[in-house]
Amino acid sequence: MTELFDFSGMGAVIYKELRQILRSPFTLALAIGVPLLQLLLLGYAINTTVEHVPCAVYDEDRGPGAQAFIDGLAGSRTFDVVLKVTNRQDLIGAIVAGKVRAAFDIPQNFTADLLAGRDPAIGAFVDGSDSAIAQVAYGSAITLSGIPLRNLTAAATTPFEVRPVVLFNPAMRSANFFVPGLIGLVLQNITIMLTALAIVGERERGTLDQLLVTPIGTAGLMLGKLIPYVLVAALQFTAVVLGLRFVFGVPIAGNIALLAILSLAFLMVSLGLGLLISTVAQTQIQAQLMAIFILLPSVLVSGAVFERSLMPLPMQLFGYVIPLTYYIEILRGIIIRGAGVAQLWPSILPMLGYGVLIFVMASVRFARTTR
Amino acid sequence: MSDAALVLNDLTKTYGERTVVDRVNFSVAAGSIFGYLGPNGSGKTTTIKMLCGLVRPSSGDAHVAGFDVETQSSRVRRAIGYMAQGFSLYGDLTVAENLEFYGRAYGMSASARAARKARVVEIVGIGAYMQYLSVNLSGGWQRRLALACALLHDPAVVFLDEPTAGIDPVARRDLWDLLFALASEGKTFFVTTHYMDEAERCSSLAYIYQGNILASGSPDEICSLPDVTPAGTTRYAIATDDVMETFRRIHDVAAVREATIFGRDIHVVVERSVTAAQLGQAVDIDPSRIEPIRPSLEDAFVALTRKADAE
Repeated sequence: MTELFDFSGMGAVIYKELRQILRSPFTLALAIGVPLLQLLLLGYAINTTVEHVPCAVYDEDRGPGAQAFIDGLAGSRTFDVVLKVTNRQDLIGAIVAGKVRAAFDIPQNFTADLLAGRDPAIGAFVDGSDSAIAQVAYGSAITLSGIPLRNLTAAATTPFEVRPVVLFNPAMRSANFFVPGLIGLVLQNITIMLTALAIVGERERGTLDQLLVTPIGTAGLMLGKLIPYVLVAALQFTAVVLGLRFVFGVPIAGNIALLAILSLAFLMVSLGLGLLISTVAQTQIQAQLMAIFILLPSVLVSGAVFERSLMPLPMQLFGYVIPLTYYIEILRGIIIRGAGVAQLWPSILPMLGYGVLIFVMASVRFARTTR
Repeated sequence: MSDAALVLNDLTKTYGERTVVDRVNFSVAAGSIFGYLGPNGSGKTTTIKMLCGLVRPSSGDAHVAGFDVETQSSRVRRAIGYMAQGFSLYGDLTVAENLEFYGRAYGMSASARAARKARVVEIVGIGAYMQYLSVNLSGGWQRRLALACALLHDPAVVFLDEPTAGIDPVARRDLWDLLFALASEGKTFFVTTHYMDEAERCSSLAYIYQGNILASGSPDEICSLPDVTPAGTTRYAIATDDVMETFRRIHDVAAVREATIFGRDIHVVVERSVTAAQLGQAVDIDPSRIEPIRPSLEDAFVALTRKADAE
């Protein structure tokens, strides 16, 4: 185990890898260009339909009218009431944190106004992050105005109004939802591929044994392989974020420095995942197949393309196994909703945890198979 | 034992049911060129990998340059150089970059690197090719570069796994001359090869077959082993114009223990009671073309292998 955390020779490996990367500028250009290209292609190509949008309710009225409205909401196909909050601030907070996609604010005298026929209004907030959801939720919220409120005999037909407001992406542009998700996806894909071949490639070319008789330590070799590609991945990140901002015209609501730091952390996690594949696979072909095996489900369940809250529960749980899921939460949180560390830590912690776990697993696996 | 660069003590490697290296014992004197011979798949590379710390022994132990390969593997690694089978350097790095990488891998300071690089470049004479991508070098130069990388940190013991496989005879001869020069300066070389002429040049040898050492010692000692030319037998070379015909006839002679074709000659081991004249008569060859010979290394290995197979 002492050898596992032997960082010696890291500089030597970094030197070698950088020279090798720079030796073929075309591969480098491809590595940086491909994510941007994929982003452009996919960004214009996706759309989805919506049911069971998670929503929060703030009931200031606490009367039978409000209760009837909440029951009606829960009975609708479009909305699921997942959260009841006790003040208006938490209502918005739940959207910023990504816990819900819509929120309803029932004012203090709702029942009284309703019974008095004063046309009361319910405030509705719709998260514009996902344009598809936002549009449906916006439309449904308006139609809620007409629903008959059962158990409220006196005013069964009294009209009331729901006035929806779209937060964060008022124009409900689809690009604003999809492009940040795609950033996560394309960055993951290319980075896993970059390192998936790192160790198994040396094994196949017969250079690994020559490397292992040197005093280079396991951790030194692993980090030495990783760090040069982090630099490449940082360039990729810059390219796709520029694409996000200037090609798709998506504004970045949150802190760009935070976005960059957390993205760098994710890139290391993803590169580490590639490295883990590389220590398990026996051949480069195997490594590529294993990478695809990880990539495909992550497209489906990470939330990059499909809204996770709309998925069946097993798929939602499966999403938690994939580091990309957390990164996409972070991306949307920062870019669209302007969220900070305070709101995003439930995604940040597991992502970093995965990073450490994956790196240790790759090192252990490597040490076990070779020494 | 203090002048032994390598000591193997019942060194064994098993993979599941299969024993690849079976209780191997021998030692190698410092400053010698030790030849490790055996057919493909006999356990040569596995032995080297155990000695280099790449593969953990299943049982037994070994000391390299005085260090235990299992418990002192990091010190072993600093004391050895290793040239793997085939081209094992980075083809997409230049000669200079490969050397630079290995210098850094051994944690050498910039000035130490520069000095040692200059030294090994001079030893192997690769100075003119420093900026070439190593993949573009000829086989002989690739081997020289690999040797330079293996020598860079000035190791006491250097393992060369089939260093001359696939390179031309001149490059082969040059490489061996280099090994002799370095051995005379005190370095120990552990070399595997399939070439008998190379084996003859080693100071000592071990012959491994199916994981077992069948013989070890100097080439002379191995050739004069009783198993190679059993008591009461003589070894002859028969020159013949029709090798296959003579070979067939030889098999009909009851006194012949063993026969092997070497080009236009057939080497036979016959019972001493049979004279060259009698042998010639039996196979229809003029006795003047039959000469008693001392066994070559190849004769020795063939005899030892057949004996092992028979058992």
